[in-house]
Amino acid sequence: MLGFEDSGKLLRLLSGGEERSIEEIVFDFNSKFPPSLHFYACSALDFLTANSKEELLNPTQRLIAFAIIHQAYASQQPSSNPFITKLVDAACDDEAEKYERAFVLQLLGSSNMMNNREFLKQSAADYMKHFDLSSHSFPQREHVQQQYCGKVQPEPFKCSFKENSVKNIIPDPDVPHGCNSNSHEFDAQPGVTSKLGSGNRDETVAGLLSSLSLEGLGPQWIRPFPPRLPVMDGELLWLNPDMNHELLWDYGMCADTSRGAAVRDLIAKALKGPLVPVQQEQVLVELANDPKLVYHCGLTPKKLPDLVENNPMIAVEVLIKLVNSPEISEYFTVLVNMEMSLHSMEVVNRLTTTIELPTEFLHTYISNCISACQGIKDRYMQNRLVRLVCVFLQSLIRNKIINVHDIFIEVQAFCIEFSRIREAAGLFRLLKTLE
Amino acid sequence: MDSASSSLAYVSREGSPTEEEDDGALLVAAGLAKEAALLFQAGKFVDCLTILNHLLEKKADDSKVHHNIAIAQSFHEGCSDPRRLIEALENVKKQSEKLALASGGDLEVSKNNGNKHTVSIRGSNMSAHQFSSSSVRYSDEFDTAVTMFNLAVIWFHLHEYAKSFSYLETLYQNIEPIGEGTALRICLLLLDVALLSHHASRSADVISYMEKVFCVNSLTNQVDSGTSTEQQTLLVSNSSSFISNSTTNFDSVVSTTTNPSESCLTRSLSEEALEDEPLQLLSSFDISRHNLQRPSIASSNDLPSLSVADLRLKLHLYKVRFFILTRNLKAAKREVKMAMNIDHPMALYLKSQLEYARGNHRKAIKLLMASSSNCMETGVGISSMYYNNLGCVYYRLGKYHTSGVFFTKALKSSSLVRKEKPPKLVTFSQDKSLLITYNCGAYSLACGKPFHAARCFQMASLIFYNQPLLWLRIAECCLMALEKGLINSISSASDIIRVNVIGKGKWRQLALRYGRDNVGKDNLFSSDGKQPHLSMSLAWQCLVNALYLLDSLETDYSKSEESESRETVLSNHKNGDPKEISNVVSGSSQVTSNGEMKEQKGGNNQSGWLQNTIPDYECIRMKEKQMIKQAALADLAYVELELGNPLKALSTAKSLTKLPECSRVYTFLGTMYAAEALCLLNQTKEAAEHLMMYVSGGNNVDLPYSQEDCEKWSIEKVVDGEESNGVVSGKCVFSSPEEGRGTFCANYAANFALMGELDKAHYFVMKALSDMPNSSQAIVTAIYVDLKRGNTQDALAKLKHHTATRILPTLKLS
Repeated sequence: MLGFEDSGKLLRLLSGGEERSIEEIVFDFNSKFPPSLHFYACSALDFLTANSKEELLNPTQRLIAFAIIHQAYASQQPSSNPFITKLVDAACDDEAEKYERAFVLQLLGSSNMMNNREFLKQSAADYMKHFDLSSHSFPQREHVQQQYCGKVQPEPFKCSFKENSVKNIIPDPDVPHGCNSNSHEFDAQPGVTSKLGSGNRDETVAGLLSSLSLEGLGPQWIRPFPPRLPVMDGELLWLNPDMNHELLWDYGMCADTSRGAAVRDLIAKALKGPLVPVQQEQVLVELANDPKLVYHCGLTPKKLPDLVENNPMIAVEVLIKLVNSPEISEYFTVLVNMEMSLHSMEVVNRLTTTIELPTEFLHTYISNCISACQGIKDRYMQNRLVRLVCVFLQSLIRNKIINVHDIFIEVQAFCIEFSRIREAAGLFRLLKTLE
Repeated sequence: MDSASSSLAYVSREGSPTEEEDDGALLVAAGLAKEAALLFQAGKFVDCLTILNHLLEKKADDSKVHHNIAIAQSFHEGCSDPRRLIEALENVKKQSEKLALASGGDLEVSKNNGNKHTVSIRGSNMSAHQFSSSSVRYSDEFDTAVTMFNLAVIWFHLHEYAKSFSYLETLYQNIEPIGEGTALRICLLLLDVALLSHHASRSADVISYMEKVFCVNSLTNQVDSGTSTEQQTLLVSNSSSFISNSTTNFDSVVSTTTNPSESCLTRSLSEEALEDEPLQLLSSFDISRHNLQRPSIASSNDLPSLSVADLRLKLHLYKVRFFILTRNLKAAKREVKMAMNIDHPMALYLKSQLEYARGNHRKAIKLLMASSSNCMETGVGISSMYYNNLGCVYYRLGKYHTSGVFFTKALKSSSLVRKEKPPKLVTFSQDKSLLITYNCGAYSLACGKPFHAARCFQMASLIFYNQPLLWLRIAECCLMALEKGLINSISSASDIIRVNVIGKGKWRQLALRYGRDNVGKDNLFSSDGKQPHLSMSLAWQCLVNALYLLDSLETDYSKSEESESRETVLSNHKNGDPKEISNVVSGSSQVTSNGEMKEQKGGNNQSGWLQNTIPDYECIRMKEKQMIKQAALADLAYVELELGNPLKALSTAKSLTKLPECSRVYTFLGTMYAAEALCLLNQTKEAAEHLMMYVSGGNNVDLPYSQEDCEKWSIEKVVDGEESNGVVSGKCVFSSPEEGRGTFCANYAANFALMGELDKAHYFVMKALSDMPNSSQAIVTAIYVDLKRGNTQDALAKLKHHTATRILPTLKLS
């Protein structure tokens, strides 16, 4: 925007129309206002000359304003003058004074022919005085537009907020009620005490020049402020005394890593054949003494079947101790898939009374038992296994380790198939009581 | 156990003369190691280091020696430079791993069958007896469990919980083979870290695992100490005898089958035997329980002892913390009752925290006061916690200034902790200044001091950098600074309309100026080096951070869910999460006697409680994340508009409104931002379509949200506001539904004005003014519409009578 000082300068230039030639004034404008201010100055003038009825400026001032608007961009093609449409409008405004239209037309015409600048050598007042309507013709708007606007420039993106803005200046004449504000009686007369409602035009023009906003006044969009998120539960940090955590000494340093070797040896033996009671007891004692020994005794899931077959009691103890181990499921898988035998059943039975086995595991195991019984050809061995399975199942059921209903049908069929065996009949009766 | 495992060492040692020397050297080393350990326990670090260095001469490559030197040194010097210690331990760890790799095949053999070390025992028959009193572990000499634990400890003390957690997690995944003392320490630390980093499900796992393994005592938990070994042998012989019993029973079943006449007997016999077993087991349990009052879980010369009873009480405290974390306040209350007789300052603090969480602020203060009379003398660390917690309570009471005073006090005493000499590792963890600084930030934000708040949050970001909420708060600081006009804004919104009166009399004109006058403001704040530089671009960065973290949290969550569901499948035990193992074990109670069963059942129920709490908690967390996300997206859309990026603002606002659980208030904000962005893009019609959702039956405008919708969000309940004067509270909650409707109408009007539908614009802007007569923006739109319609007089009347208008003195020509 133009500051106070520049507004004053501009106003003085406008007011020089009576004496100085237009050319001089335009030259002054170019020297006093650097090119960076030209646009601001011109748009201010544009505003001041917007309404020919408004009489903000007197006729000579208007002419000078047009001249400045035009000459500020005279070095370029008329079509690139940002105010070209305004000038064309002024030239074609039917309500405007004829001399003004003629002047603007001459201005527009001057840019084509450099020799046609004579009219600028006189003052604006002289131009009006010597104005001869007959020597001027007023072409149609379309014609003028075609001649000077040239190709329509592609409009740069313009936000509709700005495009639709109105001037931020509202006339608010302060005159007594009922008076016509356009009346000349309110013009301040030099040397006369001002009466109510009178005002100085120049003062207003200067004020307007400095207050005019390029952006104007547009509709306002309310952008609600996003609210601050309330403090969340637990966001404020409550502090509690800590439990102390100290650095640890590594007692494994240079330690006798041989510990438990005896057990490892015994376990290795136990894979090959039954241990004598003393040896068995030694293993159990050592395992009991050291809960972690079981992880270092050299047993792997693959070796489990051998241990089960040869030393079921040790297998039980080892498995119980391994129950928290990540490998336990692997051990279970091996156990459920190994060949059915008295010892494996014994191991499972004992496990059921000490730790909770996965239900799936138990069900699979029971199914395996049953199919094993059915698969045996040797009748004696079959009877033996069936009796064993029956006792095993009764124990599971009585101890409520399995839910009878989960396996009811399968077991019932099994009992019926082997009803000749007393234990099977007993199991059947047990099932009936639970039904 | 045979040839397969005969390592080179085995072969070379067998019988050769150098072998004996080696054995001798080993024995000497073991002796030195023992001595060093004793000196370490006695706190004689200088002597200890001398011996360790001596040891190092013999075994220059032994990473454990290096490890213990680093530990002893840090105890000796006071841990002034934990980062250096971390580096040293990392090196030890790397070295161990390298050595383990180098001895590759060798080691594998030993891992599989544990045979490797067989050699050295041959000869000493005593070893079998010795080991019960020694604390030696069987792990390989390359085992890094202790090193990793120590690293976790240091990171814990440095408040780097994520780093600590990653070490502990690795250890926990394979905790079974680790020695009990160390395992217990690992669990306790993991529990602390998990709770502090709000990892509820892991906390619950560890608690139930500890209850199963360390508290429920079976024979296996009996360790060393002369007296107990005696008992044990007794027990074992007991058990082994019944084992042999049962064996014979089974055998008898089989043998009797050969004898049909007796077969009926076998049934009863075997069953009796089976039923008897639990009884026998029970009796052994009883003895062991009796026993357990004295001996500690941790082997005595390994770690300071911790009795089972102690551990139980500690676990109560942890459970209280767990329940408070997961907002299961009822359970926490129940747990607190059981934990109250613990003589630990934590107990009272926890009780106070519980009351704080339940909203009984007076009670919380009382408890804090009581605790302060107990433990004020225990150290400055405690006093800073005390002040900090009081600050929290007063904040919740809405007395922000009082809370600020307490937070400042807390910071002061916290800085005293830092100055304590000699520096110990624990002083780092006792220095809670960064945590308190965060609270300070929250208080400053509540009091409308965005620059101070931002400085606090930026300091706290050292430990909270991975918390989306922190970044949101910094962004809120920027927005608050913008709102207060403390930083530059390109938007034109302002509270007042400036009117310059130009000229006099008939020439009088009014020049409206609407928008901020920013001249000089930016110098005011950016020049001060102490002030953080708050700007919209900073806000943008912070919000992008917050949203990124929120999204990564979500994917983390779904991942962990996946893995959990995978783990629940029993057949997948292999994955080695000790958590499900606890499920397997839990059934063991069924066999034991009535009393025992009850206890156990109680225990089981509780771990069930723990697990059941988690879904609720996850639900709460999800909701909170949703809230944070909504706030962050709304802020981001606003910031994009401020930065002049309507396209990005549009997409952000759209993703806000598309959130599945977007509250009505945020839907409203999102719609407003999206519509504005569309208008800025000259898509007024699309904007109108967006806005249409709040218009029903032609020209009726509904309230965009209800009072209830607002209240749902204001968790911040101000109980009594005697001291809350000067607090900017109006802006931190939503504007009223009527204001919301007013805003909508004004914007709808502006949109119509842009489309040239001036009559509709007029209608809606008048509606807007009836909802919020003081809005400067609405009146400017109204004036604009009047001017556009040529009603200059109406425009002038509106301008002159509006409260936002400021008439400025007439400009005079200089």
